[in-house]
Amino acid sequence: MEEYDLFPGCVIPNRLPYLEDSARKVFDKLGVKTFDAPFNCCPDPVGFNAVHHKSWMVLSARNLTIAENDNRSIASLCNGCTQTLKAVNVELKQSEEERASINAVLAKIGREFKGTISVKHFVQILIEDVGIEKIKEAITTPFTGLKVACHTGCHYARPSHIMQWDDPMEPKCLRELVEATGATAVDYDEEVLCCGAGVGNTEEEPAMQILKQKFDSAIQAGAKCFVVICPACYQQMDNSQRNLKKLFEKEYNIPILYLTELLALAMGYKYDDLNLKLHRARPQTLLERYNAV
Amino acid sequence: MAVIDFEFRNSIIQKDLGNTLAYCYQCGTCSGACPVAQVTNGRYNPRKLILNSLLGLKDNLLLGTENNFNIWGCTVCDTCDEMCPQNVELTEIFTLLKNMSVKKGEAPDYYTTQAKFILEHGKAIPLAPAIERRRDQMGLPKAPKVDKKEVRALLKETGLEKIIGPIEEEKKEGEK
Ligand code: SF4
Ligand code: SF4
Repeated sequence: MEEYDLFPGCVIPNRLPYLEDSARKVFDKLGVKTFDAPFNCCPDPVGFNAVHHKSWMVLSARNLTIAENDNRSIASLCNGCTQTLKAVNVELKQSEEERASINAVLAKIGREFKGTISVKHFVQILIEDVGIEKIKEAITTPFTGLKVACHTGCHYARPSHIMQWDDPMEPKCLRELVEATGATAVDYDEEVLCCGAGVGNTEEEPAMQILKQKFDSAIQAGAKCFVVICPACYQQMDNSQRNLKKLFEKEYNIPILYLTELLALAMGYKYDDLNLKLHRARPQTLLERYNAV
Repeated sequence: MAVIDFEFRNSIIQKDLGNTLAYCYQCGTCSGACPVAQVTNGRYNPRKLILNSLLGLKDNLLLGTENNFNIWGCTVCDTCDEMCPQNVELTEIFTLLKNMSVKKGEAPDYYTTQAKFILEHGKAIPLAPAIERRRDQMGLPKAPKVDKKEVRALLKETGLEKIIGPIEEEKKEGEK
């Protein structure tokens, strides 16, 4: 199996290390080999790109040169990092003019973008390198009957001409992986709706309205938890439930699980092994029903 | 009265990021699909942003710190780019508008604060001692150190510091 440089990003290792832990456990179980590397911030496609596009390209390109020097492609744990690294990688591979302009900056620190590697979201690696069948074989604690709302988030497959993976408006891979654990991915109207984190950087209320729309639609469809694949979505959805209560006088308390947490649980790890008590909306009661505590 | 600024319009269309602008035929698909437009009662409208860019009506776009929602209300979900029948790359055009807004000092604080963190630490979120301890307890490997000198050298070359201002520690040194 191909080996990768692991790109955990900023949010996961430096704020939500339990998510990184779950990913490493799942990779180990499935034989995905990764290496650590001294990457800088991806940088954030919503924040830093909006501040200064060229700086965003240059810092992303620096990351790509690190992986190129290791001769390994990048395995990303985060949608935002995937989008940034992939967008810049594609752009610099396609446009000689851009490449020359970015390489002129990288030359100051003795680096050069060569365009020899690719960037993948971990979902892509689970689907393509490992495969659903092998994942099914590793399941020891099935989640039969658990109704899950899948939330892929925006920067996973859009813009499609750059990301070239899964369906940008009807994503399928996350559903397949969730269902490999025995759980049921419910159909809900607002499945591709944003978590609202982006506009939340500017103003809280529209972000909360968007999130409420999403939550209400999933709960109405019978979902007992969300499964996500991006730490920005995870934070927005797990941290904001108190705010939603304040604004709309409605109690949510719906657990937000990272895909790698759900997979690790299904592979036999328990609530405490994965430090799931660090979630704000604790999944304890839910998981007790599946012998996962 | 709004002033048409051709140079402004050209400064978008002539850039790589903005060269799809001219294809917009104002169908409104983008605004219909935009989650922020749905909940903000006309305060945020991607079709109008594109129209004002096309017409070069700079004064309708860059409205100052108090009224920056018209640009910074975008949640960057990339739905409009995906749905636009003319393949206008809206979010790329908005990146140009946001970069201009930052230069004028009109961006929400969140953005410049994050950029300063990246300039100073090479990461949007530096590793705090409490999290480092938690990582140890979990048996996670030490997070590899970022070469801050390299990051700083690159951002000096791109001119970021001039745009967002110096980071705190340098300010202090400068005062001494
Ligand atoms: S969807 Fe495209 S063509 Fe239609 S108004 Fe929006 S940008 Fe213009
Ligand atoms: S990317 Fe921005 S403008 Fe486009 S649909 Fe999403 S929030 Fe609306």
